[in-house]
Amino acid sequence: MEPPHIARITQNPFHVLGLRPGCSRAELERAGQTLLDMLAVDMRDAREYMTPLGPRARTAELVRHAMAELREPTRRVVHELWASRDQAAAAPRQPRTSPLSDDDAERDGWHGGFRALGWRTP
Amino acid sequence: MTDALYVGIDLGTTNSAAAVFDGDRVESVRNSQGTALTPSLVRVDGSGRVTIGHRARRFLALDPTSVRGEFKRLMGTREQLDFPAAGLHRRPEELAAELLRSLRHDIETQIGVAPRCAVISVPALFELPQVAATREAATLAGFEVVELIQEPVASALASGWRADDSSGHWMVYDLGGGTFDVSLLETQGGFLNVVAHGGDNFLGGRDLDWAIVDWVLARMEAEHGVTLSREEPGDAPAIRRLKSAVEDVKIELSAAADASLLLPGFLPSGHLELTVTRADLERLCAPLIDRTVEICQRLLAEHRLRPADIERLVLVGGPTAMPLLRERVAARLGVPLQRELDPMTAVAHGAALYAASAGLDARPRAANDARGPAAKLWLRHPAVSADLKPHVVGKVTGAAQQGKGVPETIRLRRKDGRWESAWTDLNHEAGFIIGVELEPRRPNVFEVLARDPDGAPVPVQPDQLTIVQGMSLSDPPLSRRIGVALASDKVQVYFDRGEPLPARRTFRHHTVETVAAGSDDCLLKIPIVQGEFERAHLCRLVGTLEIRGRELKGTVPAGAPVELTLELDRGGNLSARALLPDIDQVFEEIAHLLVPEASHASLTASFSATERRLQAMRTRAFRGRLGEVIEQLDALVDTYKAVERDIAAAAGGDADAGLKARRTLLELDAQLERLEGQVEWPELKEEARWKLAWSSHWLEKYGNDHENRLFEEAAAGADRAEREQDAVELERQISMAYDLGFNAFLRDPEAWPALFENAAAEADRAHDLPRAHALVDEGRAAVRAGDRRKLERVVRKLWTLLPAEARQRQRAFQSGLR
Repeated sequence: MEPPHIARITQNPFHVLGLRPGCSRAELERAGQTLLDMLAVDMRDAREYMTPLGPRARTAELVRHAMAELREPTRRVVHELWASRDQAAAAPRQPRTSPLSDDDAERDGWHGGFRALGWRTP
Repeated sequence: MTDALYVGIDLGTTNSAAAVFDGDRVESVRNSQGTALTPSLVRVDGSGRVTIGHRARRFLALDPTSVRGEFKRLMGTREQLDFPAAGLHRRPEELAAELLRSLRHDIETQIGVAPRCAVISVPALFELPQVAATREAATLAGFEVVELIQEPVASALASGWRADDSSGHWMVYDLGGGTFDVSLLETQGGFLNVVAHGGDNFLGGRDLDWAIVDWVLARMEAEHGVTLSREEPGDAPAIRRLKSAVEDVKIELSAAADASLLLPGFLPSGHLELTVTRADLERLCAPLIDRTVEICQRLLAEHRLRPADIERLVLVGGPTAMPLLRERVAARLGVPLQRELDPMTAVAHGAALYAASAGLDARPRAANDARGPAAKLWLRHPAVSADLKPHVVGKVTGAAQQGKGVPETIRLRRKDGRWESAWTDLNHEAGFIIGVELEPRRPNVFEVLARDPDGAPVPVQPDQLTIVQGMSLSDPPLSRRIGVALASDKVQVYFDRGEPLPARRTFRHHTVETVAAGSDDCLLKIPIVQGEFERAHLCRLVGTLEIRGRELKGTVPAGAPVELTLELDRGGNLSARALLPDIDQVFEEIAHLLVPEASHASLTASFSATERRLQAMRTRAFRGRLGEVIEQLDALVDTYKAVERDIAAAAGGDADAGLKARRTLLELDAQLERLEGQVEWPELKEEARWKLAWSSHWLEKYGNDHENRLFEEAAAGADRAEREQDAVELERQISMAYDLGFNAFLRDPEAWPALFENAAAEADRAHDLPRAHALVDEGRAAVRAGDRRKLERVVRKLWTLLPAEARQRQRAFQSGLR
């Protein structure tokens, strides 16, 4: 289970749905519905999505939640802010295939990643 | 028209209805009497034989004790309904199942097959136990798959699924026999959004009937000297008969200026005969109608909308057929009515349309699969789509013959011949995604064509699919927030209002105290609550996961982690799973999933406590010269008197009145809490200003652009809440701003040492003293070594060992989590 401040980045609805922040409502519905259908028929391409912290597993619950978040205009604004920031920071060229542990994070410039996303570290 | 058939059922308090959608048209299902409405009545005679609907209604006058209605309001409770002639008791779910079985039979007569699945409507504000009871009734009635839809959402679908692509807000006013729901909806490009719900689970046409019954009883006493009382169990059959006659008079007054209420042999001296005029009806019903209008106005105000912002008002439910109600609601709300919808069958029609959205074909499985040998496809697509270019996803799951007849490319061709896709190669998983084009507002049937590597046609199954273009609602939204009560009396929200179902969420909590393995006395309680309040005790307890010491493999110390997962399926069915990682044990059984009981003793005790609280508040308000609070307290007096009447009726055997009293007492409690907020307003304002200044200071020093922007939004929200004197909103905005400020504060080098000193000063109050003292020592060493990261870990662990306030914990349903 990822801590909330990490999940806020990795579970950003735009990443989950593979959409850009300015997408229309119709694009959102189409992408969400298609991903749900792909997951239902167990298509491998739908099972993972990319985030600034590496790939994550995509589930139907995550997709539904992401769709609901982006349908609500005030919540969407916050996610757009974060997603734009994430995209500016750019996804790693060679994303990790396993989740980071705290120790990995310290060694591998975890705080650098956070700084890139606009956080300051103590 | 398509091959599929979709079934929707409106399981109402007073009347029920069913509808069937064939992809093109929605039709009401006629019962054996030839009508679309079946009274929600069940009769069990002396020999145990069951009759439903109109047939049962005929016995209301002759044999009132063998006929039961309005059981929907008791769903999910422990109440049993008696049938004295048969010597039987039945739960409300069992009676609802009888009614559903009868409707299922009517559907079978009309479409030729017994439906396997259906969508059943429930009031938007139904709580989890009531939802679970409805599902149980459907299963008992023989349905294999059932989904539930909120009544106002169903009405909106019925009202607008073929509307033009207009965008705007709608309001659905749904006054049923026993419940009132109002929903704010928004359409945008054919997508239906549920913005918010309001309503009252215990206000309906039935209450209009009771207002008239009470008036007739008063007239009987004055004119004939005959006294009948709702508080007297012996009078119940006579009152039931009178109420049935009152319902007929109310319907008659929809068309006539006056009506006669005639009950032969009702009085010791002979017949009861009274003339009731429309003016009488208006006078008696006006306060209740006004209450519904106030709920609508409150909902609009909460969402900062004016009546002029609402494009249309859809009226649904039996009582809305009354001209008097339609006129009064339209005039007081100032919103144009949509008139073309039949208020009695709209919900069933919407439920059938939703069954199509959810792909719930009611036909038996065998009929779906009765095709010749062919390559098998697994197809997924929206059955109803607002999108004009949706995707069809598919996968080949089996070939007709080994080596031959294996599809390599797929094409979809619309049956009207005006569109076809390109030939699309199957991918490495034998899957494909094809975007199709739909004709607006009609069913679109596509042929599925396949070719093998040599270009020869391959038969596939299914060989066609249908997508109806119209307004769609992909997932049913949750109407009330669901969370877990924490020992601090706060709520950890798991699912917010509007969350699409199904949904699953996991959070990590910590135990408040040690639960010893093997002990019968030790218990870890995890209360699951439903409601919009920040404080747990104001929400409704809808389930509890209980972990007993005797079930544990090892002792769970205070502060131990608990990973709790809550899951809701599409029908709102709740399941919970608690993992205790320290001992690697999982618990899943929810111990209690019933609407809490409303015994006479508990109601009387709650009533007295509320009375004392009301008086104490009044004294404080007088002392503080808070005229506005005094006025609001005075306005609560009517509600308070209504509770007193309901408690008396509950003593006379009216279980529904008891539940209503319990609900109203909870609402009174919440209103008193809000008023207390007003009494404490000056202190709250002072605290808010201090917190904003504090947060602003740290954000200026350590915050980033995004945090500062969010802080500005929260500060503006707090400012608005202060101007509007909205204590709950002010607390919410300040809490958001303070969280941002606190995060920034933690980046200061001196933050963790200071937090450590505070926590260490409290360490003697910890549940696990040896561990707390060890952590204090560890923390001191970290301070000396300047290891801030370690210090942070120590402080966080120390926090989990400090006790919650006992009083708060008791109010939070004895929650064992923080």
